Amino acid sequence: MALEGGHHLKGYYDISGDGGSNVLAQVDAQQARIAQNLSLVRNLLAIGSGKGGVGKSTMTMQLACALRRQGYAVSIMDADLNGPCQARLGGLRETILLPGASGATVPTTESGIGVVSMATLVPEPRAVEFESVATGSSHTWRATKEFTILRELLEGMDWGKLDYLLVDLPPGVERIVQYAELLGPTAMFVLVTIPSELSKGVVARSIEALKQTSNPILGYIENMDGYFCQDCQRVKPLYPAQSSIQFELPRLGTLPFDPALAAHCDRGGSLADLSTLPSWPLLQRIAEEMLKRAAELTPSEETR
Amino acid sequence: MKFLCVSCDEAMKLMEVAPPDRGSLSVVYRCPTCAQEIAMLTNPFETQVVSSLGVQIGADSDPMDGESRCPFSSMVPELGAPGEESSPELRWSPEASSRLANMPEFARPLAKAGIEKFAKERGLGEIDLGVLDGARKSMGM
Repeated sequence: MALEGGHHLKGYYDISGDGGSNVLAQVDAQQARIAQNLSLVRNLLAIGSGKGGVGKSTMTMQLACALRRQGYAVSIMDADLNGPCQARLGGLRETILLPGASGATVPTTESGIGVVSMATLVPEPRAVEFESVATGSSHTWRATKEFTILRELLEGMDWGKLDYLLVDLPPGVERIVQYAELLGPTAMFVLVTIPSELSKGVVARSIEALKQTSNPILGYIENMDGYFCQDCQRVKPLYPAQSSIQFELPRLGTLPFDPALAAHCDRGGSLADLSTLPSWPLLQRIAEEMLKRAAELTPSEETR
Repeated sequence: MKFLCVSCDEAMKLMEVAPPDRGSLSVVYRCPTCAQEIAMLTNPFETQVVSSLGVQIGADSDPMDGESRCPFSSMVPELGAPGEESSPELRWSPEASSRLANMPEFARPLAKAGIEKFAKERGLGEIDLGVLDGARKSMGM
Protein backbone atom coordinates (compact mmCIF):
# COMPACT_ATOMS: atom_id res chain seq x y z
CA MET A 1 0.00 0.00 0.00
CA ALA A 2 1.46 3.36 -1.02
CA LEU A 3 0.82 6.48 1.04
CA GLU A 4 1.36 10.12 0.12
CA GLY A 5 5.02 10.93 -0.31
CA GLY A 6 5.80 7.47 -1.64
CA HIS A 7 5.76 5.88 1.83
CA HIS A 8 4.91 2.19 1.55
CA LEU A 9 3.07 0.10 4.08
CA LYS A 10 2.20 -3.57 4.21
CA GLY A 11 -1.27 -4.53 2.99
CA TYR A 12 -3.63 -7.15 4.43
CA TYR A 13 -2.19 -9.96 2.35
CA ASP A 14 1.40 -9.04 3.15
CA ILE A 15 0.79 -10.07 6.76
CA SER A 16 0.52 -13.75 7.47
CA GLY A 17 -2.14 -15.09 9.82
CA ASP A 18 -5.38 -13.31 10.65
CA GLY A 19 -4.19 -10.77 13.16
CA GLY A 20 -4.45 -13.02 16.20
CA SER A 21 -8.24 -13.31 16.25
CA ASN A 22 -8.00 -16.86 14.88
CA VAL A 23 -11.49 -16.40 13.44
CA LEU A 24 -10.62 -17.92 10.04
CA ALA A 25 -9.03 -20.99 11.61
CA GLN A 26 -12.06 -21.47 13.83
CA VAL A 27 -14.41 -21.30 10.83
CA ASP A 28 -12.24 -23.87 9.00
CA ALA A 29 -12.23 -26.06 12.09
CA GLN A 30 -16.05 -25.89 12.24
CA GLN A 31 -16.26 -27.14 8.64
CA ALA A 32 -13.82 -29.95 9.38
CA ARG A 33 -15.80 -31.04 12.44
CA ILE A 34 -19.05 -31.11 10.42
CA ALA A 35 -17.41 -33.26 7.72
CA GLN A 36 -16.05 -35.58 10.39
CA ASN A 37 -19.37 -35.78 12.20
CA LEU A 38 -21.27 -36.61 9.02
CA SER A 39 -18.67 -39.05 7.74
CA LEU A 40 -20.92 -42.03 8.54
CA VAL A 41 -24.00 -40.48 6.93
CA ARG A 42 -24.28 -42.00 3.46
CA ASN A 43 -26.95 -39.74 1.98
CA LEU A 44 -28.05 -36.23 2.83
CA LEU A 45 -31.53 -35.56 1.50
CA ALA A 46 -33.03 -32.08 1.79
CA ILE A 47 -36.79 -31.74 1.50
CA GLY A 48 -37.65 -28.22 0.41
CA SER A 49 -40.03 -26.20 -1.70
CA GLY A 50 -39.54 -22.49 -1.39
CA LYS A 51 -43.27 -22.24 -0.68
CA GLY A 52 -44.69 -22.55 2.81
CA GLY A 53 -47.65 -24.70 3.79
CA VAL A 54 -47.28 -27.34 1.10
CA GLY A 55 -46.52 -30.19 3.51
CA LYS A 56 -42.72 -30.35 3.50
CA SER A 57 -42.49 -31.37 7.13
CA THR A 58 -45.19 -34.02 7.03
CA MET A 59 -43.73 -35.36 3.78
CA THR A 60 -40.28 -35.48 5.38
CA MET A 61 -41.54 -37.58 8.28
CA GLN A 62 -43.60 -39.82 6.03
CA LEU A 63 -40.69 -40.42 3.67
CA ALA A 64 -38.52 -41.19 6.68
CA CYS A 65 -41.13 -43.75 7.77
CA ALA A 66 -41.19 -45.31 4.31
CA LEU A 67 -37.39 -45.53 4.26
CA ARG A 68 -37.36 -46.92 7.77
CA ARG A 69 -39.87 -49.59 6.76
CA GLN A 70 -37.43 -50.66 4.07
CA GLY A 71 -34.83 -51.19 6.76
CA TYR A 72 -32.76 -48.03 6.33
CA ALA A 73 -31.21 -46.15 9.23
CA VAL A 74 -32.85 -42.72 9.02
CA SER A 75 -32.76 -39.49 10.98
CA ILE A 76 -34.37 -36.11 10.44
CA MET A 77 -32.89 -32.71 11.13
CA ASP A 78 -35.59 -30.07 11.40
CA ALA A 79 -33.96 -27.05 9.80
CA ASP A 80 -37.08 -24.96 10.29
CA LEU A 81 -36.02 -23.24 13.49
CA ASN A 82 -38.92 -20.80 13.54
CA GLY A 83 -41.73 -23.22 12.85
CA PRO A 84 -40.31 -26.53 14.04
CA CYS A 85 -42.73 -29.43 13.98
CA GLN A 86 -40.71 -32.62 13.59
CA ALA A 87 -40.77 -33.23 17.35
CA ARG A 88 -44.57 -33.24 17.27
CA LEU A 89 -44.68 -35.38 14.12
CA GLY A 90 -42.33 -37.87 15.76
CA GLY A 91 -44.12 -37.87 19.11
CA LEU A 92 -41.00 -36.45 20.79
CA ARG A 93 -42.18 -33.19 22.29
CA GLU A 94 -41.25 -34.16 25.85
CA THR A 95 -37.64 -35.05 25.04
CA ILE A 96 -34.50 -33.03 25.76
CA LEU A 97 -31.10 -33.34 24.17
CA LEU A 98 -28.53 -35.07 26.36
CA PRO A 99 -24.77 -35.45 25.98
CA GLY A 100 -23.46 -38.72 24.55
CA ALA A 101 -19.98 -40.01 23.78
CA SER A 102 -19.61 -38.03 20.54
CA GLY A 103 -21.99 -35.11 20.81
CA ALA A 104 -25.62 -34.94 21.84
CA THR A 105 -27.63 -38.14 21.56
CA VAL A 106 -30.26 -37.99 18.81
CA PRO A 107 -33.73 -38.75 20.25
CA THR A 108 -35.53 -41.49 18.36
CA THR A 109 -39.18 -42.14 17.65
CA GLU A 110 -40.93 -45.35 18.54
CA SER A 111 -40.13 -46.55 15.04
CA GLY A 112 -36.41 -45.83 15.43
CA ILE A 113 -36.24 -42.63 13.39
CA GLY A 114 -33.85 -40.07 14.85
CA VAL A 115 -35.34 -36.60 15.16
CA VAL A 116 -33.56 -33.38 16.03
CA SER A 117 -35.88 -30.41 16.20
CA MET A 118 -35.81 -27.07 17.93
CA ALA A 119 -39.28 -27.99 19.14
CA THR A 120 -37.73 -30.32 21.73
CA LEU A 121 -35.82 -27.37 23.21
CA VAL A 122 -38.51 -24.74 22.86
CA PRO A 123 -41.88 -26.21 23.79
CA GLU A 124 -45.10 -24.90 22.25
CA PRO A 125 -46.38 -22.18 22.44
CA ARG A 126 -43.07 -20.39 23.00
CA ALA A 127 -41.46 -18.78 19.97
CA VAL A 128 -37.82 -19.30 19.14
CA GLU A 129 -36.01 -16.05 19.83
CA PHE A 130 -32.88 -14.86 18.16
CA GLU A 131 -31.34 -12.61 20.75
CA SER A 132 -28.86 -9.96 19.86
CA VAL A 133 -26.32 -8.05 21.91
CA ALA A 134 -27.19 -5.08 19.73
CA THR A 135 -30.52 -4.32 21.38
CA GLY A 136 -33.56 -4.35 19.13
CA SER A 137 -31.64 -5.53 16.10
CA SER A 138 -32.08 -9.29 16.21
CA HIS A 139 -33.56 -9.14 12.69
CA THR A 140 -30.18 -8.01 11.42
CA TRP A 141 -28.42 -11.13 12.63
CA ARG A 142 -31.21 -13.64 12.34
CA ALA A 143 -29.96 -15.43 9.24
CA THR A 144 -26.40 -15.69 10.50
CA LYS A 145 -27.59 -16.89 13.87
CA GLU A 146 -29.91 -19.44 12.30
CA PHE A 147 -27.16 -20.91 10.19
CA THR A 148 -24.84 -20.98 13.19
CA ILE A 149 -27.43 -23.06 15.06
CA LEU A 150 -27.87 -25.41 12.09
CA ARG A 151 -24.12 -25.76 11.79
CA GLU A 152 -23.93 -26.55 15.49
CA LEU A 153 -26.59 -29.23 15.02
CA LEU A 154 -24.65 -30.82 12.17
CA GLU A 155 -21.48 -30.59 14.20
CA GLY A 156 -22.68 -31.32 17.72
CA MET A 157 -25.22 -34.14 17.33
CA ASP A 158 -24.11 -37.75 17.43
CA TRP A 159 -25.66 -38.65 14.05
CA GLY A 160 -23.87 -41.99 13.97
CA LYS A 161 -24.12 -44.36 11.04
CA LEU A 162 -27.06 -43.44 8.83
CA ASP A 163 -28.29 -44.42 5.41
CA TYR A 164 -30.29 -41.21 5.14
CA LEU A 165 -30.27 -37.92 6.97
CA LEU A 166 -33.37 -36.02 5.88
CA VAL A 167 -33.28 -32.28 6.33
CA ASP A 168 -36.65 -30.57 6.60
CA LEU A 169 -36.10 -27.11 5.13
CA PRO A 170 -38.08 -23.96 5.94
CA PRO A 171 -39.73 -21.95 3.15
CA GLY A 172 -37.82 -19.34 1.16
CA VAL A 173 -36.55 -19.54 -2.40
CA GLU A 174 -33.31 -17.64 -2.01
CA ARG A 175 -32.49 -19.46 1.20
CA ILE A 176 -32.66 -22.86 -0.49
CA VAL A 177 -29.30 -22.07 -2.06
CA GLN A 178 -27.90 -21.18 1.35
CA TYR A 179 -29.01 -24.56 2.69
CA ALA A 180 -27.35 -26.23 -0.29
CA GLU A 181 -24.14 -24.43 0.62
CA LEU A 182 -24.46 -25.44 4.26
CA LEU A 183 -25.11 -29.11 3.46
CA GLY A 184 -22.49 -29.34 0.72
CA PRO A 185 -22.62 -30.38 -2.94
CA THR A 186 -23.51 -34.02 -2.30
CA ALA A 187 -26.80 -33.18 -0.58
CA MET A 188 -29.72 -34.22 -2.79
CA PHE A 189 -32.90 -32.16 -2.98
CA VAL A 190 -36.53 -33.18 -3.26
CA LEU A 191 -39.07 -30.39 -3.80
CA VAL A 192 -42.63 -30.46 -2.57
CA THR A 193 -45.45 -28.55 -4.19
CA ILE A 194 -49.22 -28.56 -4.24
CA PRO A 195 -51.00 -28.47 -7.62
CA SER A 196 -51.88 -24.77 -7.44
CA GLU A 197 -50.26 -22.33 -9.88
CA LEU A 198 -49.37 -20.21 -6.87
CA SER A 199 -47.27 -22.94 -5.33
CA LYS A 200 -45.80 -24.19 -8.58
CA GLY A 201 -44.70 -20.69 -9.49
CA VAL A 202 -42.64 -20.49 -6.31
CA VAL A 203 -41.25 -24.01 -6.70
CA ALA A 204 -40.21 -23.11 -10.26
CA ARG A 205 -38.16 -20.30 -8.72
CA SER A 206 -36.55 -22.77 -6.29
CA ILE A 207 -35.59 -25.04 -9.16
CA GLU A 208 -33.95 -22.10 -10.91
CA ALA A 209 -32.19 -21.12 -7.70
CA LEU A 210 -30.87 -24.64 -7.18
CA LYS A 211 -29.47 -24.65 -10.71
CA GLN A 212 -26.82 -22.27 -9.36
CA THR A 213 -25.52 -25.16 -7.29
CA SER A 214 -24.18 -28.56 -8.25
CA ASN A 215 -26.59 -30.31 -5.90
CA PRO A 216 -28.71 -33.00 -7.55
CA ILE A 217 -32.50 -32.48 -7.53
CA LEU A 218 -34.16 -35.86 -7.44
CA GLY A 219 -37.56 -34.55 -8.45
CA TYR A 220 -40.72 -33.13 -7.03
CA ILE A 221 -43.69 -34.47 -5.12
CA GLU A 222 -47.18 -33.13 -5.72
CA ASN A 223 -48.87 -33.04 -2.35
CA MET A 224 -52.58 -32.45 -1.77
CA ASP A 225 -53.33 -33.65 -5.29
CA GLY A 226 -57.02 -34.03 -4.58
CA TYR A 227 -58.43 -35.23 -1.30
CA PHE A 228 -59.29 -38.64 -0.06
CA CYS A 229 -63.02 -38.72 0.60
CA GLN A 230 -63.68 -40.99 3.54
CA ASP A 231 -67.36 -41.33 2.62
CA CYS A 232 -66.92 -42.65 -0.89
CA GLN A 233 -63.34 -43.88 -0.45
CA ARG A 234 -62.26 -42.01 -3.57
CA VAL A 235 -59.85 -39.23 -4.40
CA LYS A 236 -61.68 -36.10 -5.47
CA PRO A 237 -60.10 -33.02 -7.11
CA LEU A 238 -59.02 -29.97 -5.14
CA TYR A 239 -57.36 -27.99 -7.93
CA PRO A 240 -57.86 -27.72 -11.70
CA ALA A 241 -56.37 -30.71 -13.48
CA GLN A 242 -54.28 -28.67 -15.94
CA SER A 243 -51.42 -26.42 -14.95
CA SER A 244 -49.55 -24.00 -17.18
CA ILE A 245 -46.38 -24.57 -15.13
CA GLN A 246 -44.43 -27.67 -15.98
CA PHE A 247 -41.17 -28.66 -14.30
CA GLU A 248 -38.32 -30.27 -16.20
CA LEU A 249 -37.92 -32.68 -13.33
CA PRO A 250 -39.29 -36.14 -12.64
CA ARG A 251 -42.48 -36.20 -10.63
CA LEU A 252 -41.74 -38.69 -7.87
CA GLY A 253 -45.40 -39.11 -7.07
CA THR A 254 -48.57 -37.50 -5.86
CA LEU A 255 -50.37 -37.68 -2.58
CA PRO A 256 -53.98 -36.67 -1.95
CA PHE A 257 -54.96 -34.81 1.19
CA ASP A 258 -56.06 -37.48 3.62
CA PRO A 259 -57.83 -36.34 6.83
CA ALA A 260 -56.75 -39.55 8.55
CA LEU A 261 -53.13 -38.83 7.68
CA ALA A 262 -53.50 -35.25 8.93
CA ALA A 263 -54.84 -36.52 12.26
CA HIS A 264 -52.00 -39.04 12.43
CA CYS A 265 -49.47 -36.24 11.96
CA ASP A 266 -51.09 -34.05 14.63
CA ARG A 267 -50.82 -36.74 17.27
CA GLY A 268 -47.32 -37.88 16.24
CA GLY A 269 -48.51 -41.33 15.28
CA SER A 270 -46.20 -44.30 14.85
CA LEU A 271 -45.01 -46.04 11.71
CA ALA A 272 -47.26 -48.98 12.57
CA ASP A 273 -50.30 -46.65 12.56
CA LEU A 274 -49.19 -44.93 9.39
CA SER A 275 -48.98 -48.19 7.49
CA THR A 276 -52.69 -48.78 8.05
CA LEU A 277 -53.72 -45.56 6.26
CA PRO A 278 -54.87 -45.38 2.61
CA SER A 279 -51.98 -43.01 1.82
CA TRP A 280 -49.33 -45.49 2.89
CA PRO A 281 -48.93 -47.37 -0.44
CA LEU A 282 -48.58 -44.03 -2.23
CA LEU A 283 -45.92 -42.88 0.22
CA GLN A 284 -43.99 -46.10 -0.24
CA ARG A 285 -44.14 -45.64 -4.01
CA ILE A 286 -42.84 -42.09 -3.72
CA ALA A 287 -39.95 -43.29 -1.54
CA GLU A 288 -39.13 -46.01 -4.07
CA GLU A 289 -39.14 -43.50 -6.94
CA MET A 290 -36.93 -41.24 -4.91
CA LEU A 291 -34.40 -44.00 -4.25
CA LYS A 292 -34.46 -45.04 -7.92
CA ARG A 293 -33.76 -41.51 -9.00
CA ALA A 294 -31.00 -41.15 -6.38
CA ALA A 295 -29.36 -44.31 -7.70
CA GLU A 296 -29.51 -42.92 -11.26
CA LEU A 297 -27.97 -39.60 -10.27
CA THR A 298 -25.33 -41.00 -7.96
CA PRO A 299 -24.48 -44.35 -9.56
CA SER A 300 -21.30 -44.77 -7.55
CA GLU A 301 -23.29 -44.68 -4.34
CA GLU A 302 -24.62 -47.98 -3.12
CA THR A 303 -28.35 -47.84 -2.64
CA ARG A 304 -28.21 -49.83 0.54
CA MET B 1 -8.98 -8.15 10.96
CA LYS B 2 -5.34 -7.17 11.23
CA PHE B 3 -3.68 -4.09 12.64
CA LEU B 4 -0.54 -2.53 11.28
CA CYS B 5 1.79 -0.22 13.16
CA VAL B 6 2.23 2.56 10.60
CA SER B 7 5.52 3.82 12.08
CA CYS B 8 7.15 0.40 12.00
CA ASP B 9 5.19 -1.16 9.09
CA GLU B 10 4.82 -4.13 11.38
CA ALA B 11 1.80 -6.30 12.09
CA MET B 12 0.50 -5.67 15.61
CA LYS B 13 -0.06 -8.59 17.92
CA LEU B 14 -3.29 -9.33 19.76
CA MET B 15 -2.46 -9.06 23.46
CA GLU B 16 -5.70 -9.09 25.41
CA VAL B 17 -9.45 -9.27 25.07
CA ALA B 18 -11.04 -7.27 27.87
CA PRO B 19 -14.35 -8.33 29.41
CA PRO B 20 -17.37 -7.15 27.44
CA ASP B 21 -19.25 -4.02 28.41
CA ARG B 22 -22.80 -3.39 27.15
CA GLY B 23 -22.19 -5.13 23.87
CA SER B 24 -18.79 -3.58 23.32
CA LEU B 25 -15.54 -5.45 23.31
CA SER B 26 -12.04 -4.10 23.87
CA VAL B 27 -9.20 -5.88 22.14
CA VAL B 28 -5.67 -4.68 22.82
CA TYR B 29 -2.94 -4.93 20.18
CA ARG B 30 0.78 -4.18 20.56
CA CYS B 31 3.45 -3.50 17.99
CA PRO B 32 6.25 -6.02 18.60
CA THR B 33 8.86 -3.52 17.40
CA CYS B 34 8.02 -0.23 19.15
CA ALA B 35 5.65 -1.63 21.83
CA GLN B 36 2.99 0.91 20.84
CA GLU B 37 -0.39 -0.34 22.05
CA ILE B 38 -3.83 0.36 20.63
CA ALA B 39 -7.28 -0.91 21.59
CA MET B 40 -9.98 -1.87 19.14
CA LEU B 41 -13.33 -0.98 20.66
CA THR B 42 -16.24 -2.65 18.91
CA ASN B 43 -19.78 -1.38 18.83
CA PRO B 44 -22.53 -3.93 19.59
CA PHE B 45 -23.16 -4.56 15.89
CA GLU B 46 -19.53 -5.39 15.26
CA THR B 47 -19.50 -7.64 18.31
CA GLN B 48 -22.56 -9.43 17.00
CA VAL B 49 -20.94 -10.09 13.63
CA VAL B 50 -18.32 -12.25 15.29
CA SER B 51 -20.70 -13.75 17.83
CA SER B 52 -23.08 -14.83 15.06
CA LEU B 53 -20.34 -16.83 13.41
CA GLY B 54 -20.08 -18.94 16.55
CA VAL B 55 -16.41 -18.11 16.99
CA GLN B 56 -14.40 -16.28 19.61
CA ILE B 57 -11.83 -13.54 19.13
CA GLY B 58 -8.43 -14.98 19.93
CA ALA B 59 -9.75 -18.44 20.82
CA ASP B 60 -8.08 -21.67 19.91
CA SER B 61 -9.58 -23.60 16.98
CA ASP B 62 -10.21 -26.50 19.32
CA PRO B 63 -13.54 -25.76 21.05
CA MET B 64 -12.54 -27.71 24.14
CA ASP B 65 -9.49 -25.55 24.52
CA GLY B 66 -11.37 -22.29 24.17
CA GLU B 67 -13.89 -22.91 26.90
CA SER B 68 -14.41 -20.00 29.30
CA ARG B 69 -12.22 -17.69 27.26
CA CYS B 70 -15.07 -16.62 25.06
CA PRO B 71 -15.77 -12.91 25.51
CA PHE B 72 -19.01 -13.27 23.55
CA SER B 73 -20.69 -16.12 25.36
CA SER B 74 -21.67 -14.08 28.38
CA MET B 75 -23.01 -11.37 26.11
CA VAL B 76 -25.50 -13.51 24.28
CA PRO B 77 -28.50 -13.94 26.57
CA GLU B 78 -29.48 -17.50 25.62
CA LEU B 79 -26.03 -18.74 26.55
CA GLY B 80 -26.50 -17.53 30.08
CA ALA B 81 -29.93 -19.06 30.46
CA PRO B 82 -31.01 -20.83 33.67
CA GLY B 83 -29.25 -24.13 34.02
CA GLU B 84 -25.91 -22.84 32.78
CA GLU B 85 -24.74 -22.36 36.36
CA SER B 86 -24.08 -25.57 38.25
CA SER B 87 -26.01 -26.23 41.42
CA PRO B 88 -23.52 -25.66 44.26
CA GLU B 89 -24.20 -29.08 45.78
CA LEU B 90 -23.46 -30.88 42.51
CA ARG B 91 -20.02 -31.57 41.07
CA TRP B 92 -19.40 -32.40 37.42
CA SER B 93 -16.56 -34.82 36.71
CA PRO B 94 -14.14 -33.62 34.00
CA GLU B 95 -15.32 -36.40 31.66
CA ALA B 96 -18.99 -35.47 32.10
CA SER B 97 -18.18 -31.76 31.63
CA SER B 98 -16.29 -32.59 28.49
CA ARG B 99 -19.28 -34.45 27.05
CA LEU B 100 -21.54 -31.52 27.85
CA ALA B 101 -19.11 -29.17 26.09
CA ASN B 102 -19.36 -31.35 22.97
CA MET B 103 -23.06 -30.62 22.62
CA PRO B 104 -24.45 -27.75 20.54
CA GLU B 105 -23.93 -24.68 22.68
CA PHE B 106 -27.55 -23.53 22.67
CA ALA B 107 -28.72 -26.95 23.92
CA ARG B 108 -26.35 -27.12 26.89
CA PRO B 109 -28.33 -25.13 29.48
CA LEU B 110 -31.40 -27.32 29.11
CA ALA B 111 -29.35 -30.52 29.07
CA LYS B 112 -27.44 -29.43 32.16
CA ALA B 113 -30.61 -28.54 34.01
CA GLY B 114 -32.19 -31.88 33.05
CA ILE B 115 -29.19 -33.91 34.18
CA GLU B 116 -28.85 -32.02 37.45
CA LYS B 117 -32.53 -32.56 38.15
CA PHE B 118 -32.06 -36.27 37.43
CA ALA B 119 -29.04 -36.41 39.81
CA LYS B 120 -30.78 -34.45 42.59
CA GLU B 121 -33.85 -36.66 42.47
CA ARG B 122 -31.54 -39.61 43.13
CA GLY B 123 -29.54 -37.86 45.87
CA LEU B 124 -26.31 -37.90 43.86
CA GLY B 125 -23.48 -35.47 44.63
CA GLU B 126 -21.43 -35.93 41.47
CA ILE B 127 -22.35 -36.14 37.83
CA ASP B 128 -20.09 -38.58 36.03
CA LEU B 129 -20.41 -40.65 32.87
CA GLY B 130 -22.55 -43.21 34.71
CA VAL B 131 -25.07 -40.52 35.65
CA LEU B 132 -25.16 -39.28 32.05
CA ASP B 133 -25.86 -42.82 30.84
CA GLY B 134 -28.55 -43.19 33.50
CA ALA B 135 -30.23 -39.94 32.47
CA ARG B 136 -30.24 -41.00 28.83
CA LYS B 137 -31.70 -44.39 29.67
CA SER B 138 -34.38 -42.83 31.85
CA MET B 139 -35.45 -40.77 28.83
CA GLY B 140 -35.53 -43.78 26.56
CA MET B 141 -32.34 -42.94 24.63
